[in-house]
Amino acid sequence: MDLETALSRARELLEPLGAAVTRPGPGRIDAVLSREKLIHAVGALKDARWGYLSAITGLDHPAPTPKKPAPGAAEAAPLPPAENLIEALYHFSEGAAVVTLRVTVPYSDARLPSICGLVPSAVLYEQELAEMFGVTVEGIPVTGHLLLPDDWPAGQYPLRKSFTGLPRAGA
Amino acid sequence: MATTQPQAAPKKFVVPIGPQHPALKEPGHFEIAVDGEIVTSASARLGYVHRGIEKGVEGQNWAQAIYMLERICGICSHVHATAYAIGVEKLAGVTAPPRAQAIRVLVAELERVHSHLLWLGVAAHEGGFDTLFMYSWRDREIVMDLLEDLTGNRVNYSANVIGGVKFDVTDAQKDAILRGLEILEERTKHYLKVATTDDTFIGRTRGIGTMTAEQAQLLGAVGPTARASGVARDVRADAPYAGYPDFPVEVVVETAGDLEAKVVARMRELFESYRVIREILAKLPPGDLSVKVKARVPAGEAISRVEAPRGELFYFLRSAGGTSPDRVKVRTPSLCNWASVLTLAPGHKLADIPMMIAGIDPCFSCNDRLVTLRRPGGDQTMTWAELRRYGIDYYRK
Repeated sequence: MDLETALSRARELLEPLGAAVTRPGPGRIDAVLSREKLIHAVGALKDARWGYLSAITGLDHPAPTPKKPAPGAAEAAPLPPAENLIEALYHFSEGAAVVTLRVTVPYSDARLPSICGLVPSAVLYEQELAEMFGVTVEGIPVTGHLLLPDDWPAGQYPLRKSFTGLPRAGA
Repeated sequence: MATTQPQAAPKKFVVPIGPQHPALKEPGHFEIAVDGEIVTSASARLGYVHRGIEKGVEGQNWAQAIYMLERICGICSHVHATAYAIGVEKLAGVTAPPRAQAIRVLVAELERVHSHLLWLGVAAHEGGFDTLFMYSWRDREIVMDLLEDLTGNRVNYSANVIGGVKFDVTDAQKDAILRGLEILEERTKHYLKVATTDDTFIGRTRGIGTMTAEQAQLLGAVGPTARASGVARDVRADAPYAGYPDFPVEVVVETAGDLEAKVVARMRELFESYRVIREILAKLPPGDLSVKVKARVPAGEAISRVEAPRGELFYFLRSAGGTSPDRVKVRTPSLCNWASVLTLAPGHKLADIPMMIAGIDPCFSCNDRLVTLRRPGGDQTMTWAELRRYGIDYYRK
């Protein structure tokens, strides 16, 4: 499958699922999906034998800290509080083409379905996503730590931007 | 995993192996459930050499990050720096000059030669064939010396900068590399013959840990592990980067899928590396070694994939427009290949497991990437300034 065929094939597979498909760079397609559609999208790629799961990347998008209004400025209507978000990127590669499925969930409801039923090799990536970003991966066949120590404190997620190290002993 | 067996009172015994690793001198923990001598299930626990590098680079500037990322792996350091540099160049909208791209490939292929010879020694050792282990590591010193002569280092070559490479190749170095390759090529022919004709070694490799092409596809295997199962997956050919468009490689594919095929695939790849290295030295493009790149990298995201000795190495980079990366995600090839070992282990004899683990040429530092530092004072982490101070004081003593 050449590059353009691979990319247009992926677009055909993902657009019917309501994914917002963009071309962020040469050889790449990004598809923004809702959490509910993730399994369908992975299944569509798998059934069409489109590539393989290259990686799962987690991204932390903390809500921007609200700026203080300039002194004397009219009190602006308060904006709804911005939410802290976690984005998971599922990268699939086929030759030179890379399709990225992007799913965003808020901290307050950081749940994603496991794709291990379709792609068994995803388990290590999902474990990493769970312990580094604090995402609950529902239906993952193996729980527990993969990379962090067994006695790692609960609720500390190293790859969130707010994490700057564990509290020092005795502090 | 031990709790998911539905049978009543299964005859099962779990053998915990590691973190002192059964095959390689790196830490990993495995729980192998056995029925008699036959493996019924296997699971892995990684993280013993987790160093927090992905988080660590978020506090570095774009150039400093190279040095940290290059230390993810002590075997294939150059591919990490290459993947990262190419990714940052994509974000910055620059391209390294052709001569730099060719030198990147030159170092990458020399690195592949050293890595594959290292692996051959490890595989021979696990197979109880220490003579082959000693010989292959002796010969590996040839390529290590060449790399040291070229870059100044045996392992962390530090060849890349963002926008190009640091050093040129002199005529004397070219001659030395060509002389070294001549010896290595002869030796590789010999090892290929030994590995495919020696009865004791074949007894440990032929028909062991066979992975079909179908399984390799499903499990997402990469590199020689996939190519030994008939899956022609090689980033150098699929999505050529650096100097590979000008110096294309032929993908080496074996079809048997067992450990012997993994040995043969890697040995045949060595010949392809020798050929590419000679071609680069003969046709090294003239010109500059690097282009200037601004300290601030425009906001955006880039994916950079390169073929490490163990398979596809995947980098995802995100810039928020500042002087340091917003996110660097590294997915190393060993991580892809674990699934193949853990899935294929059941049904094999326990004694075959170390060989099967060695078969994918796993790299633990690569998997883990992040260690908690414990100092007498109870502190678990060091700031960059503290680490720098520690280093200066250490060498002053």
